[in-house]
This record gives sequence, C-alpha cells and structure tokens, in this order.
Amino acid sequence: MSPGLHTKPAVVKAASGLLTDMQGASASLTYAALLTDDGFDVARLPGETDGTRFAGMASSMQALGDAVTHELKIGASEYIIIASGKGHVVQLRVPGQELVLSALFDNDATVGHALAVTRTFAQKMAELLA
Amino acid sequence: MTMDGTHVAPEPAPQPGKFPVSVGWTQAAIAISSVMVLKTPMNLKMNIEMHGPLLIDFENRAFSWSTPLEHFPIDAVHTGLETIAGGPGAPPLFELPGKDLDSLLWQIGLNSFDGKPAFWLSPGERYRLTRWPNLTQHSHDMSQVKMIAVLGNAYVSTEELAKYTAVPLTEAQRLINALSLMRILSRSAEAPAAVVVPETAAAKRQSLFGRLRKRLGRTDG
Amino acid sequence: MAEHVILFTGPMGAGKTTSIQSLSEIEVVRTEANNSERHVVDKETTTVALDYGEILVDRDEKVRLYGIPGQQRFNFMWAILKKRAKGMILLVNSDAPDPIAEMIFFLDEFRELYDRGGVVIGITRADVVSGPSLDDFAEALERTNPGLLIPVFTVDPRDRDQMVNVLLALIANIEMRAMFGMITEAETA
Repeated sequence: MSPGLHTKPAVVKAASGLLTDMQGASASLTYAALLTDDGFDVARLPGETDGTRFAGMASSMQALGDAVTHELKIGASEYIIIASGKGHVVQLRVPGQELVLSALFDNDATVGHALAVTRTFAQKMAELLA
Repeated sequence: MTMDGTHVAPEPAPQPGKFPVSVGWTQAAIAISSVMVLKTPMNLKMNIEMHGPLLIDFENRAFSWSTPLEHFPIDAVHTGLETIAGGPGAPPLFELPGKDLDSLLWQIGLNSFDGKPAFWLSPGERYRLTRWPNLTQHSHDMSQVKMIAVLGNAYVSTEELAKYTAVPLTEAQRLINALSLMRILSRSAEAPAAVVVPETAAAKRQSLFGRLRKRLGRTDG
Repeated sequence: MAEHVILFTGPMGAGKTTSIQSLSEIEVVRTEANNSERHVVDKETTTVALDYGEILVDRDEKVRLYGIPGQQRFNFMWAILKKRAKGMILLVNSDAPDPIAEMIFFLDEFRELYDRGGVVIGITRADVVSGPSLDDFAEALERTNPGLLIPVFTVDPRDRDQMVNVLLALIANIEMRAMFGMITEAETA
C-alpha cells in the first residue's frame, strides 16, 4: 500500500529526473506524467503545467482498462493507447508500484516506438524505487 | 295510567352500564396533538394494559417504551394518561436519547381514528408534505410510498389522494392522519386542485415503480 | 432495451460503492485504487472512475446504477455521468467533517438531476456517530434551496432492504414529479 508517493520529495525528484531522461530518449515525446493509482500528480513534463486534471483522468483510464480486461476475462490490462490525429497517448503501470506512467508522442513516432520508450522508462522507474 | 284506567307498572330506571369505548390510540392521538402545541412544555406518560408505560418527551423528540414498534399493539387499551411538566429544570422522564418520536407518531397516527379523519382536520382541505418521513425507519408499504410521493408534489384532498394512487379512502385517511400527527403536513382550504400532466397520467399504466417493486420483492401494499 | 439510469453521488466514504453492491444483481464493476490519503479519509481504497451495477426489471428493461468517484479531482467524470441519469441518490456520511456542507455541495453540482427527475438524500452512519440530526439536514436544505422538497432518509448502505426502500422512494418521487408537471425536461421512457 503506497503511502502517498506524490508527497515524498525523494520520489518526486526521482520521477522528474526520469521524465527529463525520457524526453532525451525520444524527440517526439510531447507530454509525460507519473501519477498515483488514485489520481495524484507526482511529476510531469513540461514541469510548469498543471498536471492535476490529467493525473485524475489517466488514473480513471487505467482503472477502466482494468475493468474491461476483468470483464472480458483476459487477464490484466498491460497498456492503454489512445490514438488521435495529432499523436498517441501511451499509458501503463510502473511494475510493482502504485504508479502509472502516461506519455503523449507526436505522430513522428510510430506506436511501436512510443510503446517501447514508455515501457523502458516505466521499468527504470520501478528500479529507482525498488 | 293508560286511557282505560289499567294500572301499568312504571318503566324501569336506565341501568348504568359499560359501553364499548375506544380508549385506545385515538385517545392517545388526541392527547398527543393537544400537548404538542402547548406553550408550556409538557410530557406524557401513558399506562397501557399488558404493556409497560409509554413515556413521551416532546422537547427531545423521543419516547421510551418496553414494547418494540415492530410489535405495535393496534388494539391496546389505555388505562391512564398523565401529563408531566417538562422544560429546563424538570428531571428527565427517561434516559436520553431514547427512541425517535416520529416512529411512534407514525404508528399511532396510522392506527387511530379507525380510517376516519383525525378530529383536528377539517373537511374540504387539501394537504401537502412539508417534509418526507424517514421511510427507512418506519415500517411502510408500497401504497404508502406512492401516496407520500403524491403528497410531496401536490396539494391533494384525501379523496384525490386515494384516487391518484388507487388505494381505499380509509388507507389514504390513515396516512393523512399519521403525517398530520407527525406535523409534516401542510393543510390548506384554498389550494386548488392539482394539475396533472395528461400524457404522464397515461404513462402511469406503464409505471417503472410498479414493475421495479415487484422485481425487488416488494409486493406489499 | 428500456433503461433508467440512477446516479449515486456524494463525498468519498459516504457508501456509494457499498450501496450499489447492495442493490446490483450483477457483480458490480468497480474501479478502485489504493487510497494514498489515509489521513484525510480513512479508507483503504477509493473509486477513481465509476461504479456500475444493474437491476434487470424484465427482459427488456434495466435500471443502471452508476456511482461517481467522490473526490473533486475526478469531477470530469461527474460531467460524463450526469448526462445519462434520470435520478440521483445523494449519500452523505454523518461522520464527515461537515456533512451538511457536503450535501449542499453535491446537490448544487448535480442540480440538473433534480430538475430533470428527482433526488433522494441518504445519511449514512447516522446510527454509528452523532452527527447533525435529520432535522438539521432538512433545515439546511430548506434554507439553501427553499421550495425543494427532497426526501432525506437515514440509511445503512450495506442493508439491501433499506437501499430498496430508498430506490423505490426515488422512482415513486420521480414519477409523481412528472405527473404533476414538476420536471423541466421531458423524460422519454
């Protein structure tokens, strides 16, 4: 049970650093956020934006994804992709943590690239917190 | 002495007798309705045959009785009634918080006046709720829910209430008596008949309430 | 398939998820996450998207029960869920820091559900703690929303019988409001 990762300065700092590294790894990353399962914003990139609303929405999406896979009896939801004319949102859980990494890539990136980058950095976040 | 002079024995004097009198909940309701409007705070103690005394503290809206309301004795015989001064300084009648008075008034109101108007109501009135009763705490049936829903949304006479909900007049009257005793009913001699939206009246025949209550097992009322 | 949507609203911890579970004939679809603010509300989990349950009235008719996430940061969900509903059960727990303020807040937020259909208010945990009395709630309602006659009941959301009473009172009230022309939007069954 996570006691409010968004309230822990060390976690917030590590998360911000990770998102900066993620930006460095992918030029088409436009927006990224780390948020708690219950919708609190931990860190976001760009840093000055207000991530509150997005954090709530991303956590709802995550939970609805779980509800869908549970309903269809197909195991756990692994990742969620929202495709739009101007980019893809890719979202998945940080393994072993009550955290979600959600990232927006512009259409210069393929979905495969977006997914691979997001997975890599979710794993890195898990290692940082382990 | 008859006209032909025959002597006839005088008629016997009337015998004193016991007449069947409803010294029951109707008397209690009358007493309660009178005491509740007094300016000086007054509480009630009612002695009831075969049950412990019923104590009512109006100021704290509470009562105390060893008989649970689930076993409300409809035909209870009251053997005595006592008014007791209340107000600040007066010793508490029983340990508070006691039980919620509204639940008692609901039962008494439903079971007094034998389906006829409570004596404090006037003919030609229309009624409307000022507050819904707390239905999870009062044992009620589905006809009563329908009637309460009408009273919550329009001024109606008892006859109109019975008509809108297709219940017998006496049942509508019992409910009006109870809600009035609970003092959550507004009375008006001037309120006009409610206007019913015609197409929804037809839709009543396909009422979701009717189908849902059956599905949920509420076939009472 | 005719459907009727009832929305359960109110603050976190009031008992929305529990009450839907009491009524639903299907396993309730829940979207719970671990609560990272135990100091604010002492609950292990919190709803982050919605709750969903159903009552099958008959082969062609359903009552759909939706529960909102109670926390304000999810109010985008409130806007989504509001649209579908014809009536609302507003639950407030007696042991909230300010239950009356919560009641008034959610009634305001979801006022269109009153206008379009009807509302019943349920006060939970009233037997467990001594919070405001039912009279206090009713008086506050009359003060802030004069002329709205909204049923206020105490309720234990775990108790199916009580929840059935609340739901049936809501449906009866909505139907009578329609019958007496108090509903501002025509309801299409």
